[in-house]
Amino acid sequence: MSDVAAARPATPATDFGDEPDWQRLHPATLALAIVKLGPRSLNFLPAVAALGFTGNWVYIVPAIGAFLLFSLLAAWFQWLRFRFLVGDDEVVIESGVFARQHRTIPFDRIQDVSIEQGLVSRALGIAKVGFETGAGGKENDASLDAIALDSAQALRTTIRAHRSGEAAAPVVADAPEAPPATEDRLLFAMGPRQLLIAGLFNFSLAALAVVGAGMQFFDGLLPFDFNVFDPRDWIDIAEDYGLDQWLLAHRWIAGVGAALSLIFIGFASGIATMFFANWGFRLTREPRALRRTRGLTTRTDVAVPVKRVQAAILVTGWFRQRFGWHELRLQSLASDGGKENDHQVVPFAKLDAIDPVLDEVAIRRPDAGQSWQRSHGIVALGGLIGAVGATIGGLVAVSFGQNLGWFGPALGLLIGAGSLFGARFHRWADLGEQVAIRRGAWKPKTTLLPHASVQSVDLKSDFILRPLGLATLVFGVPGGSSLGAHEIPAIPLAAALDLRTRILAARARS
Amino acid sequence: MTDTPAHPTDPFDAEALNAAEGLDPVNPAYAQVLRIATALNLIPLAIGASVFDALLIRHIGGPYGLITAAAWVIAAIVIVSFPSRRVSRWGYKIGEGQLRVARGWLFRTDTIVPFVRVQHIDVGQGPIERWFGLSHLIVHTSGTHNSTVTLPGLHADLAAAMRETIRRHIQTDFA
Repeated sequence: MSDVAAARPATPATDFGDEPDWQRLHPATLALAIVKLGPRSLNFLPAVAALGFTGNWVYIVPAIGAFLLFSLLAAWFQWLRFRFLVGDDEVVIESGVFARQHRTIPFDRIQDVSIEQGLVSRALGIAKVGFETGAGGKENDASLDAIALDSAQALRTTIRAHRSGEAAAPVVADAPEAPPATEDRLLFAMGPRQLLIAGLFNFSLAALAVVGAGMQFFDGLLPFDFNVFDPRDWIDIAEDYGLDQWLLAHRWIAGVGAALSLIFIGFASGIATMFFANWGFRLTREPRALRRTRGLTTRTDVAVPVKRVQAAILVTGWFRQRFGWHELRLQSLASDGGKENDHQVVPFAKLDAIDPVLDEVAIRRPDAGQSWQRSHGIVALGGLIGAVGATIGGLVAVSFGQNLGWFGPALGLLIGAGSLFGARFHRWADLGEQVAIRRGAWKPKTTLLPHASVQSVDLKSDFILRPLGLATLVFGVPGGSSLGAHEIPAIPLAAALDLRTRILAARARS
Repeated sequence: MTDTPAHPTDPFDAEALNAAEGLDPVNPAYAQVLRIATALNLIPLAIGASVFDALLIRHIGGPYGLITAAAWVIAAIVIVSFPSRRVSRWGYKIGEGQLRVARGWLFRTDTIVPFVRVQHIDVGQGPIERWFGLSHLIVHTSGTHNSTVTLPGLHADLAAAMRETIRRHIQTDFA
């Protein structure tokens, strides 16, 4: 603990003594390793089951003991062989039990330092520090998992101070805690009330599906035999209270009960996920970056360097749009955690709260009077082909006597109608310095892409678009998902050529 | 880039296609490279089909010889006629501070990379390409989409010269 607390890297270590002061991870990391054993021991279950089935019951306890011992020893060795050094302008990390890995990361190359705390880490007062270097691939980014929270914050302050000190006078302040010249401004925060509203709009059918699937799956395992999705179970419940006769006469009550519980689960899961993810949401403007802290159990602290922002994405929903609620994401060189590719900087807000954030990254939102140009209706073709495929597949299944096959045509009809309807919402507008692309009817998504972020432009046409005089523009933009490239589909060739010329004329985003 | 209105271009005439879009064709020798590469891919497949035919179809008493014949005929057609067509649809233009690479006809993609946006450049040469004195140029950008843009079928000297051109631009624009 004490040597980690000395993580204030301001002390010029190399002046005296030939041995620089290497540091280890926080000892509490070992406690974290025990917690992580929980999920990992699932891998061990088949072995236990095998032992059980073969009747070798006596070996189960020793086997589990050996597994625990081995895992803990491995964790301990890893901890022992992991050390890091915070130098004057670089971080050095050495790791590996058998194969040693030595990695040097200059402060200049660190784009982003993130601090993440899970539930257990918070109890232990430790945090995981991630260094985002912009190197390709998640596994290429180094992290310290985990060190004491205050030394994590000190480390980040040091690295930030170093970066912002590049242009300024080369005075090495020996107090990294010294606040930067301009104080941080609060751009956006979410209170419990706003989270509740956001959660209500976050009504989630996906979670419902998971719960439903789980209920089906664990039906035989649950101590009570009850499936909220099954009206018959509701009738059973009623029976216990002598209501069954009345219910049989009023079956719709059972239906309503099932529907109500569905709705309740949908809202509850929406609110719960919103609270867990965004509790205490704060977005502040720092000298060089936007900084976001959020999370109820897992608290994350992420900085998005303003100059690394490549594009802004405004997402809303068909329903919440009527109330003016939007979500703002920023596409940056660094990615946001494991799942998301873009940084969610405003989870849920009205446009007038989003505008100040957009101002900070120098991206303008098209106003209401903006005239949009539409993509050609041919963009529905892909969906229509999918619909035909689903229909044919379903009908083939029906012809083989599988009644579930009727889902195919029904699904095909839905997909077809959806894609035809959605095709009308593919729009784009050139705002001079940036291009706005809008798509989606169910979940309208507006991408604001500054011309200067575009690294390359594809002009695509094929045997369908060409006879119609159309072309698709695809933009190569740093960051974001490799699957969801920004594109303007099926616009007139002349307009595409013109837009391409204008975008390529833009100078690099400084 | 021409401003002429879109007129029907003969898709089977390489000169017409590239001229209409103001592009330079790649080295015709690249067709040989592609042909050999295609042959190396397809001949094992055809052999596999023949073996399958000999072992299985004869075993179950099916029409022996049909699959073998079809496999070799298709392979021959693809090896003889496709490479030169594919090559004729590659086009490039270097200049005005940008590299333009176009390929394909059924699905045509026309990529422009400004020199300023180039991260680094590779000139590569495979064994077959070396045989014909060709190289390919790979341009890396920082975009997630199009992180690499490849232009094959360049004479080795031309590829090196293009690399130097692009490199000079990267340097001049870095100030």
